[in-house]
Amino acid sequence: MDGVFANLMLGFSVALQPSVLAYAFAGCVIGTLVGMLPGLGPLAGISLLLPATFGLNPIVAIVLLAGVYYGAMYGGSTTSILMRIPGEAASVMTCIDGYAMTQRGRAGPALAIAAIGSFVAGTLSVVALMLLAPTLATFALRFGPPEYTALLTMGLLVLSYMSGGSMLKTLAMATVGLVLGMIGIDAMSGYTRFSYGQTELSDGIGIVPVAVGLFGLSEILMTAGQPATPPAQKPTLRQLIPSMEEMRLSVGPIARGSVIGFLIGIIPGAAHIISSFVSYGIERRMSDTPERFGKGAIEGVAGPESANNAAATGAFVPMLALGVPTGPITAVMLAAIMVHGIAPGPMLITEQPQLFWGFVASMYVGNVVLLILNLPLVGLFVNLLRIPYSYLYPAILCFCVLGVYSVGNSVVDVWIMLVMGGIGYVLRKFEFDLAPVALGLVLSPMLELSVRQSLAMSGGSYGIFLDRPIAIAMFGAAAVLILLALKPLVFKSKDWRSDVGLDETTSQ
Amino acid sequence: MADPISAGVSQNGIRGDHFAGAVLVAIAAFVAWENRAYPLGSLASPGPGSVPLMLALLLGGLGLLIIVRGGASPLLNSIDWNESKRGLVLLIACGVATFALERIGYRLTMIALLVFILGVIEHKKVLPTALVALGFAFGSYFMFATLLKVQLPRSPWGI
Repeated sequence: MDGVFANLMLGFSVALQPSVLAYAFAGCVIGTLVGMLPGLGPLAGISLLLPATFGLNPIVAIVLLAGVYYGAMYGGSTTSILMRIPGEAASVMTCIDGYAMTQRGRAGPALAIAAIGSFVAGTLSVVALMLLAPTLATFALRFGPPEYTALLTMGLLVLSYMSGGSMLKTLAMATVGLVLGMIGIDAMSGYTRFSYGQTELSDGIGIVPVAVGLFGLSEILMTAGQPATPPAQKPTLRQLIPSMEEMRLSVGPIARGSVIGFLIGIIPGAAHIISSFVSYGIERRMSDTPERFGKGAIEGVAGPESANNAAATGAFVPMLALGVPTGPITAVMLAAIMVHGIAPGPMLITEQPQLFWGFVASMYVGNVVLLILNLPLVGLFVNLLRIPYSYLYPAILCFCVLGVYSVGNSVVDVWIMLVMGGIGYVLRKFEFDLAPVALGLVLSPMLELSVRQSLAMSGGSYGIFLDRPIAIAMFGAAAVLILLALKPLVFKSKDWRSDVGLDETTSQ
Repeated sequence: MADPISAGVSQNGIRGDHFAGAVLVAIAAFVAWENRAYPLGSLASPGPGSVPLMLALLLGGLGLLIIVRGGASPLLNSIDWNESKRGLVLLIACGVATFALERIGYRLTMIALLVFILGVIEHKKVLPTALVALGFAFGSYFMFATLLKVQLPRSPWGI
């Protein structure tokens, strides 16, 4: 424990440097804006800022991008509560009771509880991240190629099982991502695959054009031309104060949301979205008066908002401890670290203590900044919602082109983004989840390399995957997930999605 | 998810998932066909073509399963494509801008793109369109190229 404290002090000595503090603040402000504005989620926001971080030192870069990520989780609640428009996908559940509270004249307390819940969950999960990540990293030093094969296979299956939609469709999208990841030079043989003579493709397809296209551009294509939304209410500082009863009702959901969100955040997939659905479902089930849900129950705001913030922090555990992204957002953040020549993996925490502990400490600071931004300054941000979307989306579109081009000064990347935007638009129409494509793309080279390295180690024997206890445990967990997914098909029973309010008709 | 009744579950016709599954099978077939150029190796020592082939087979299998289980999905013609025309125009405009980016420079490209979207697609008045286009093009160039040292293309005329 003394070691943790000493390391945390090292972290604060980094995080409280004026430049780091300034970028943490900038990240939080940008994140809040990104979370509030429809059509610009945290992934698109982080991807667009990525080229701007190339000239910064890696600590500042990661602190800035992380600020955008968890800032977006805070900001997303504002438009959900005031206008019934989820600024980003994780705030969908907040719309239900948050907007109902606004209609009853309780917008202020809803915003306050969302901000307080986000702050408590964000802070508690940073503590958990701080304690868990170094332990997991030490454990992961035992991982070789067979263990990584098992981990990545299990991760993709967990992603599919935990997806909000059809497991078959999610698996198909993960496979499409894995196929896209095959483009470029094969690390084992040196063959250049599926590049069709384009030298730009020999390094493979980058995560940024794919992510911006699938998530940013496709969202604009879906929403451009929508009718103007009514103006948002602007609560005063006095109106933000919740009643004692609202505070009492929120304590349990915030605590449960923090734990659920953090745990779901660690596993792959759209964790911040799923965690808010799961939290809402649990709060409704645990309530003595479930009939209040949907009509302005404060628990329906406190739980999901806490959960999505905790999940955002939980996602950093495998990213920092194992070097394995759990979703497209952490994949882009890993890319930001790798640009600076830092290799992600279990050695990151010991080899780059200033980066890890500075990052952890900056998150404590960031949560305080966000609490201030989202309570007293909420009126200031609400003013931005008055910008008509017809002016906003062309600017976002131009930022997409600018951001993707500037990552590698490559027009080919912009073409890839446009193609992915069109594909993402069509896939959304057919109710496919897009996150597995981006995750598959990132994990594909790692998975292929670990499989082939494992076979090279064993002289071609597949028994190597059954000789290693950690790999067996992970493959066992993957098998259990497959059985759980098959259960509703065989026994015609409902699966977990129906329990938390996700449409069971999509779960095949 | 569309309401099953309004989406036409009880009606006959091609379902959305039937179509989507068939497209996935076609993509899988294309990947497998293109993969002929790479050695497969053996089971014990897989070559560069082995994993893409396995993935193509997996994708094809998943596509078939989506078709098989797609009977309850909405009818293909019930999917709402209302905004697709505007979306297509935006994509084409971005495509033209991408083509122009390294030829006429970042600022002129962004001005042209914004004038087209705001003036032609959104029917905004001339003055706000011009202000937004010029403000965004020069403002973003100053922020990214000048302050953040991101390299952005310039036109042959130096703009």
